Amino acid sequence: MNPQTEANKDLWKAIYNTGDLQHCFNCSTCISGCPASFGDPPLLVRNLARKVMYGLEEALFEDDTPWACVSCSRCEEMCPMDVKPFEMILHIRQWQASNDETRVPPSIVEIYKRGYTQAVGTNVETRQALGLDPLPIITNNPEQLAMFREMLMKTPVIAANDYMFGG
Amino acid sequence: MEFCLFLGCNTPAVRPDVEKAIRVSMDELGVDLVDADNYVCCPAFGSFPSTDEDSWLATSGWNLSIAEGKKRDILVQCGSCYSSLRMGREHIMHSDEKRQRVNELLEPTGRTVCGSSRVRHVSEVLYKEITPARIAEKVKISLEGLHGVVQYPCHTLYPSEVVGFEDSPREPKGMRQLVEALGATVDGYSRELQCCGGAGGFMKSTPEQAIEFAKTKFDSILEETKADFIAVSCITCLMHMENVQNTLNKRVGEERYKIPVFDYNQLLALCLGKEQKQVSAICNVSRDKVHQFIANAKVAA
Repeated sequence: MNPQTEANKDLWKAIYNTGDLQHCFNCSTCISGCPASFGDPPLLVRNLARKVMYGLEEALFEDDTPWACVSCSRCEEMCPMDVKPFEMILHIRQWQASNDETRVPPSIVEIYKRGYTQAVGTNVETRQALGLDPLPIITNNPEQLAMFREMLMKTPVIAANDYMFGG
Repeated sequence: MEFCLFLGCNTPAVRPDVEKAIRVSMDELGVDLVDADNYVCCPAFGSFPSTDEDSWLATSGWNLSIAEGKKRDILVQCGSCYSSLRMGREHIMHSDEKRQRVNELLEPTGRTVCGSSRVRHVSEVLYKEITPARIAEKVKISLEGLHGVVQYPCHTLYPSEVVGFEDSPREPKGMRQLVEALGATVDGYSRELQCCGGAGGFMKSTPEQAIEFAKTKFDSILEETKADFIAVSCITCLMHMENVQNTLNKRVGEERYKIPVFDYNQLLALCLGKEQKQVSAICNVSRDKVHQFIANAKVAA
């Protein structure tokens, strides 16, 4: 893609509409020590910041690397210009997921259905053997779970993809 | 001292012995815990925080409101839960607009959030409130003679402005001092502050590279320390640092990576004389040597 002809100059406003990003001077501190920068393809946070700022919409839309982030937030700590790179990564994911339903993480369906990504509360015997009481989990409280779901139904990701959540 | 205990998902579902260790050790140290009834996913960064702000912050707000209703701060062990709840609270507290929106979403559920409950990590409470000195006084069994290394949960260090409690996030001391309070010698190593790499999408998207990344950390521990155990304070670090060692052993064709990994509260509970079968019952890398050391020390005491 030729950034001169294909760029969407307003892309950063759609993705990460803060002044923070404009302070990035491409120093790569965000990459140094980033676990996912060792991946293949590597997560290169600095390059993502460039794609957002240059408005390389198509390239960014196809980019899987924001999802390899481990969320350690080391980049957020070390960035000398306070760009808040981890927040930027979350915003890129949000932008991708809201424009491409295949990016919607399956984990949110689990949370919607039972409150958690894991089947909390099913290991009854193990817990008993350890002398643990059953947990007051929402999965076992239909009234509270229904209220939680109703609340989520009013949020953009679930309203836009309601077929994933049983309508 | 009293807290609202937020366990997340992995601890109660996969490693409930860690939950038991937290409950009994905190009780012994005079900390009163009540459960966060009807809590939901923190939410994990790969879930609602990756889709939109409304679902993210409404879910954070739901959890925070439980503790606010009990007029208690939240106590968390899982690094991701801790960071997600802290960041969610930060957004809700620092923007009137976001707080209003979250309360609008919460309103039909009979809940409200104002930010009155703080989110505290168990290692912070042990380090800053209870203090290593008091822990050293309370322990009945000493780990003197054992060498340990520590793994700081990244989510408790960065970004220090939002989640931090160490005097310097570049040079944290909490985990070291907490393990020293149990009598063990803590060996430093060059990759001490390197992330375990277990959270988020790294392992899922490029497992080969994630395992190689973890290998550099374990090689550093093996080459530079006399570690008999690794002390962590995050459920992801615990599970990942065990699993990766087993994967690495299959690759190299020998049992080279076999350092037992403990959640700090498990070591603490054992040193307080608690039952090993309850507080340190589940592991994927043998803990026999450390358990035997403690059993022998118990007899001697």
